[in-house]
Amino acid sequence: MPLAPNPHAMAMLIRKLESIASLSDEQRQAIERLPLRTHTLAARQDIVRDGDKPGHCCLILDGWACRYKLLGDGRRQIFSFHIPGDVPDLQSLHIHTMDHSLATMTKATVALIPHESLHELTLRHPDLGTLFWRETLIDAAIFREWMVGLGRRSAFEHMAHLFCELYLTLQAVGLAENYRCRLPIAQLDLGDALGLTSVHVNRVLRDMRGRALITLRSQTLVIEAWEELVRIAQFDPTYLNLERRAAA
Amino acid sequence: MTLRLQPVQVATGSSDTESLLVFSGEFLVAVLVRLSEIHGDRAGMWFLEAGFGPVEHTDSPIFADLDEAQSWVERRLESRR
Repeated sequence: MPLAPNPHAMAMLIRKLESIASLSDEQRQAIERLPLRTHTLAARQDIVRDGDKPGHCCLILDGWACRYKLLGDGRRQIFSFHIPGDVPDLQSLHIHTMDHSLATMTKATVALIPHESLHELTLRHPDLGTLFWRETLIDAAIFREWMVGLGRRSAFEHMAHLFCELYLTLQAVGLAENYRCRLPIAQLDLGDALGLTSVHVNRVLRDMRGRALITLRSQTLVIEAWEELVRIAQFDPTYLNLERRAAA
Repeated sequence: MTLRLQPVQVATGSSDTESLLVFSGEFLVAVLVRLSEIHGDRAGMWFLEAGFGPVEHTDSPIFADLDEAQSWVERRLESRR
């Protein structure tokens, strides 16, 4: 497939960036002119691997992805989940060798944007460079919350915190409303993200359902008691730096 | 090495309660919990709820039956001798 601008695809990136900042018309047009190549991928397929030196960044247009690292014996830690509009490997623009992998979780469509074009964009529009920097800083803030979850929160609090986070990030790009969203994450993946076995994930999910906090059925998450979930998770959305917030 | 099993109920906060304490000599080395019906096709299998010393494992395995569980615990204990 040829390298060409695709304003429809870039609308996803613009929507994401507008969830954390305001963009001028000129900035929006500059992003729309970025050349890209789209690919459709199967579920559970690597997009970039640990050790790779990619020449492009990957914008997710459809489907879900995750970043992860594998240990020698096959144990896996998932660091983050990604949704349409995310550029999970934005750091590869300045850190050339991947220190982890990025893979699809569902069937997905992605747009690959050459580093060269992104560098040129940030040189011509320094404010967009600052905005990409801000985006990676928010990414780091999310990692800090995950670190607290992995190290100090109980399994129940940790999962509650993740559900609050995912709901607000999905809502910010228009992919969730009325405390309901699609959540195509297998229990195995949830366990690898939370550092829990699939047995513990199953127990906690049942406990949450039993307390009428959430339901998770047919890959749809419904948060039945948002305020109670927020209280249990000690969830403070400040770290997400979202311009648009859920009505609490 | 002979392992000794002692039935016990464990408060896992779920319907997984039927459990066994696993002793090696005088030492408690593991707690196995029988998975209940909430685990679908894994119901009836044994889960390493807790392991101590060489039996500790960050990615707790699930065993089809008690023989498999005991063999695994024995191997872990022998590997650290």
